[in-house]
Amino acid sequence: MSEYSGNEAVVMKNVCKDFKVLNRHEGLKGSIKDLFSRDYKTVSAVKDVTLTVNKGEIIGYLGPNGAGKSTTIKMMTGVLEPTSGELLVNGKVPYKNRTENCENIGVVFGQRSQLWWSLPLIESFKLLRDLYMVTKEDYEGMIELYRSLVDIEPILHKPVREMSLGQRTLSDILAAFLHNPAIVFLDEPTIGLDVSMKAKIRELILGLNKEKNTTVILTTHDMGDVDALCKRIVIIDKGTKIYDNDIDHLKTYFGSYRTLKLKRADDEWEEYLIDEKTTDVMDVIMEKQKQMKIKDVKIDEISTEEVIKKIYEGGAK
Amino acid sequence: MNPKRLFAITRAGIMESLHFRLGIFVTLFANLIYLVLVYYLWKAIYDSSGTAVVNGMTFSDTMIYLILATALFNFLEMFVVWDMSRSIQQGKIVLDLLKPMRFRKYTFWSYTGNHIVQFVLTFIPTFIVVMIVTKGAISMGLNILWFLIATFLALMINYNMEMLVAPICFYTESTWGVNIVKETIVLLLSGATIPLAFFPEKARVIVQYLPFRAVYDIPLSMLLGKSGSDNWQGLLELFGLQLIWLVILTLAGNLFWNHAVKKVTVNGG
Amino acid sequence: MHKRGLGFYARIYRKILIQDLKSKMSYRADFIISTFGMIMTNLSGFITFMILFHNFPTINGWDYYHMLFLYGFSLVALTPVQCFFDNNWNLRFMVQSGDFIKYCFRPVNVFFYFISEVFDVKGLGQLAFGIGTIVYAWIKIGIPVTFLVILKLLVFLLTASLFMIALMNFAAATCFWIKGSGYVMVIMFRFKDFAKYPSSIFQGIFKVIFTFVIPIAFIAYYPSLVILTPDNVPLLSWISPLYGILFVYLSYRFWMLGVRKYDFTGS
Repeated sequence: MSEYSGNEAVVMKNVCKDFKVLNRHEGLKGSIKDLFSRDYKTVSAVKDVTLTVNKGEIIGYLGPNGAGKSTTIKMMTGVLEPTSGELLVNGKVPYKNRTENCENIGVVFGQRSQLWWSLPLIESFKLLRDLYMVTKEDYEGMIELYRSLVDIEPILHKPVREMSLGQRTLSDILAAFLHNPAIVFLDEPTIGLDVSMKAKIRELILGLNKEKNTTVILTTHDMGDVDALCKRIVIIDKGTKIYDNDIDHLKTYFGSYRTLKLKRADDEWEEYLIDEKTTDVMDVIMEKQKQMKIKDVKIDEISTEEVIKKIYEGGAK
Repeated sequence: MNPKRLFAITRAGIMESLHFRLGIFVTLFANLIYLVLVYYLWKAIYDSSGTAVVNGMTFSDTMIYLILATALFNFLEMFVVWDMSRSIQQGKIVLDLLKPMRFRKYTFWSYTGNHIVQFVLTFIPTFIVVMIVTKGAISMGLNILWFLIATFLALMINYNMEMLVAPICFYTESTWGVNIVKETIVLLLSGATIPLAFFPEKARVIVQYLPFRAVYDIPLSMLLGKSGSDNWQGLLELFGLQLIWLVILTLAGNLFWNHAVKKVTVNGG
Repeated sequence: MHKRGLGFYARIYRKILIQDLKSKMSYRADFIISTFGMIMTNLSGFITFMILFHNFPTINGWDYYHMLFLYGFSLVALTPVQCFFDNNWNLRFMVQSGDFIKYCFRPVNVFFYFISEVFDVKGLGQLAFGIGTIVYAWIKIGIPVTFLVILKLLVFLLTASLFMIALMNFAAATCFWIKGSGYVMVIMFRFKDFAKYPSSIFQGIFKVIFTFVIPIAFIAYYPSLVILTPDNVPLLSWISPLYGILFVYLSYRFWMLGVRKYDFTGS
């Protein structure tokens, strides 16, 4: 705890989280057996994670499904208590000071709206203002900022239940920033949205981060989000941190990889990921040409998507 | 309908019910306490009345009737209305309707698994306890067979009542209201809260011909040999009543359901 | 960090309540059907009661009007749990689907925030029904109308209401530990139907259980004795306010313990 300097939004040291689950058996017989079974096993959702997030940073917190991302977020928000290790959010232990911690964080959980379902957005904002005891000036300042960043007029007086998914996500993000928290957690903020809405949301997050110097911890499966927002990414898999560095570094990591795209006779593109250190791109093209007619050729740098896929598959080791 | 597929759905239903293991024990325990309450209330009532037989029912008749009615209630309970309204709210109903099997049939058979679990875990133990406590007051003869047949018919009638009410969810969002009205009427007029034998003469004449009675009162009367179920003519009348209502409710449910589904497909859910 | 006292919570509750009522107005059909449903349940309870008395003129020495008073008393005492704590019924669905987590992200008490979300208007119908029954029985029994008696009535109605609130909190919170515990709530809610009978009907160990563990005897019987038998009030009636507060407090702690223990794996 002594290393806390005041410039960190989140400090995690050797944090672990275990769950106890019942060992279930298969089939109808198994179901009957389970009725009386006391056969529990311990599952480690997060294993020995050490991580520091600085104030004002936007980090991408990535990992395949079930990697332990949301368990980590739940610990940071004070909902779950770590089994062991040290965790500080804004310099405080979140689990022990849940209410206080909540004043300094904002949370958006994907498609799960936290707003009052049947209230117009502006009424939800007013209730939130009262809940967080935001002063009148701060509140009005925030609404002004929102106006300058996005066109909020069409949604301000609309009940949440009548909104489109995009409008709802937008509202949830605005609501999460309303009390000017030090950290905002965004869990899959652009899931299910169309391209233009995604761009709008990313722009908004960047704008708010710049204006208010808010720390943003983003979990997503959409590498477009990562490319647009994050300088730094942390990857977790099976509860263990496997990557923590700049996004540019990530690309140089697999710098010798190229994506080769070949257009077939039927105008469809075929993609191949090639490591130039081991394989020559021209060889592949020639080899392919023997098998089929190639109408067009493109060679791209490796995309973030491909890199992440490689890392998930164990390529970084 | 392929019997293998029916079996698979029923089996999945059984496994799903068993999944909530602690829930099952807690349910059993809560039921037991409820029965104790029923026992004390009626004991006090009979003690205060000064006579042993009221409206042809002795204390032990009433107890057996009410205890088994509670057990039947647990066994027959379905949440079709709730399930459907939640499915509508989440927009899942369109998917449900697209399932390869007809939605109503699918629902019925997936509940059958739950019914079987409830029958084994609540009804049979309750029945055994009642037999022990009353030292065999329930005669073990053909009446058991009639009871089982009547219960099966009751199950189908109950299901069809649910299915008649459930489509209302397509028209209104008031699930709670719809459900509570249905449940209140069924519980009162079927004899689950107070045996129909205690109803005033005029009310009893009307209630006797309503479908609600077919769910709790008829099976239990057959088990106890009451309401004329001890002779062939009486038995035929009771079964006849069940069958007539089953046909009427099924037809009405079909008509209403088709109309409601049309509404969903028009509005696109 | 802001201090949030009782004043803050009262203000917030009022604001949420007003918003909730406003949004309820937009579901008019639901309101009408629910109110009708509420009237039906009360009517059905009343009919059951009448049928019982049609067959048995007294129960444990209690005559018709005294029983009617007890019945009305229980209806009024059960109004607060219906009006203010109705969201407990949604708890298990929220917990199961993982939606419950949203209540943990606000800088206010989780229990308060969860419960404040729903105000059930239809409970008011029950209140009217209950008051009517009490007034009718009151006149028939001939209880004197003085300021002191009215005050006692209000205090002990409030007391009585605490017990059902606590019981429903306990029942709802079981879902944090037990999957598929929905039936506990259903049966607990049905226990209240026995509150309208004199608890002298219980004997032996069950008298203790239904007085202290599952305090059905306190939902109406003991508090109402203060009004019904002013010359012969048992000690339990007088201590019922304290016991009620304790019981609600315990149920609140149990509920909050559930939130702490729950692992939020629903998502």
